[in-house]
Amino acid sequence: MRQADGEVILLWTLPVVSLIWLSAFLLFPGFVRPMSPTMSAEEVAAFYRDPANLPRIRYSMIVFNWFAVGFVPILALIVLQIRRMAHRTPIFSYAILACAAGGPTIFLMANLFWLLAAFRPMRDPQQTQMFNDLAWVTFSSQVGFLIAQSVILALAIYLDRQKRPVFRPWVAHFNLVVAVLLVPAAFVGLAMDGPFAWDGLLSFWLRNVTIGLWIVVMGVVLGRVILQQRAEDEAAAA
Amino acid sequence: METVPPVPSGSRLRKIAWHWRYDEKRELWIGWWTLVVFYNLYGLLFFVIARTQPPPEPSLPPSEIAQWFADHHYGLLYGYALVFIVGGATAIMNATLAYTMRRMSVSRAFAYSYLLIYALATLPGMLIMGVVCTVGAMRPDRDPELLSWLYDFAFLSFEGTMGVFLIGSLVWMLAVLLDENRVFPKWFGYLNLCNALTEVVVAPAWIFKRGVFAWDGEIAWWINMAVFVTYTAVFLTLIRNLILREDFGTGPLPDLESDRAIDAITLGTAR
Repeated sequence: MRQADGEVILLWTLPVVSLIWLSAFLLFPGFVRPMSPTMSAEEVAAFYRDPANLPRIRYSMIVFNWFAVGFVPILALIVLQIRRMAHRTPIFSYAILACAAGGPTIFLMANLFWLLAAFRPMRDPQQTQMFNDLAWVTFSSQVGFLIAQSVILALAIYLDRQKRPVFRPWVAHFNLVVAVLLVPAAFVGLAMDGPFAWDGLLSFWLRNVTIGLWIVVMGVVLGRVILQQRAEDEAAAA
Repeated sequence: METVPPVPSGSRLRKIAWHWRYDEKRELWIGWWTLVVFYNLYGLLFFVIARTQPPPEPSLPPSEIAQWFADHHYGLLYGYALVFIVGGATAIMNATLAYTMRRMSVSRAFAYSYLLIYALATLPGMLIMGVVCTVGAMRPDRDPELLSWLYDFAFLSFEGTMGVFLIGSLVWMLAVLLDENRVFPKWFGYLNLCNALTEVVVAPAWIFKRGVFAWDGEIAWWINMAVFVTYTAVFLTLIRNLILREDFGTGPLPDLESDRAIDAITLGTAR
């Protein structure tokens, strides 16, 4: 088994994990029609107490808990590609490793708050609402590591000055656009309704569609580079 | 090999463009400028916009805590929104600090440990406070008892997250003291020890609600902040020197030209 084969196996976990994430996303009743921050404490408590919702909340969040770190191997593959770039220092690969540790941990925290709210739905509605707020604010506002990841990746690509750069320049441009599109979600605390609210066009739909798009585009780009490398290694070995 | 034109004189923009294009040390300078800009920015956001530093009293009753959230409403919401956008910059900052250990003669285990510990530290040490303050500020009409819990959560996660900075500073200290590549002067190793000790004296903030050891106290906050600011200013200067001296080799770093000149004058010899 060559090293590249292991990387290809890791690469194929991407569509599998994506599919699991998408299923969990659709299973959680709070995402399909995102919960509004304007819901009163009683309405939030009723959402968690509803026998039609409660199992779906728990099961979807358990699945998210299992697979929240599911994309870390993909980020590790990106780190390996950055190490092939024509840089003088390992600063960019170190920085992506730091982002890879931070991002999923934040998502896990949001996940814990949702699971806590669902654990004792008969709690005082004010408390359930607080856990629900903590979950939604953590989930929506924490775009910092994703932004940093895209900006650092873009910088690394721009500074990869060799005849055949690892990624083409458009991948860097794409990552910068992604970073910009994620910015509005950070302001989620400021609005109870409208595009900036956590169920709004910018903070929910734009942000999550952008993250999904990043996963698909980077998966394809990364896959092509890894497969091409493997073919070259095989040709060199033959 | 392409020929490198001289650094252009004139506008700063053209100089930056030159460095981006030709400077061999651009990755290190990107790291260093990120450190300088973001330490200042975090200072501005925490002290001036969110106004959560210097911290308010831990001993406030719930009704006054509710009032504190009401008074700081927009500062908290805008301040932390900006922190959330730029918070990820810590990744490249910590990568730059880890690089200083990578350049030393010590094992890579030092750079890796430091990077891991500080990557972890961003969350309890900074972002949790932002999330919790945002949640507190979002609904000013929340039950004051719950606001009081959020208040404790915010300030104790920020100040009471000790071990990551304690062990991180000790890792850096050990690396500096063991290093034979002369990356940093040995006294900086001991300054790391001072920073590590601030994380020891902050521990009583988990116990006391009033006095010098409380989270707003003279020892737990003011002395620690003074040490931290000094420590940061020192390592920013030392890292700048490191970059100026960097030769991308694996052996001892050369002296700065200016240091050699000073040695020549003070010792009366040219090395």
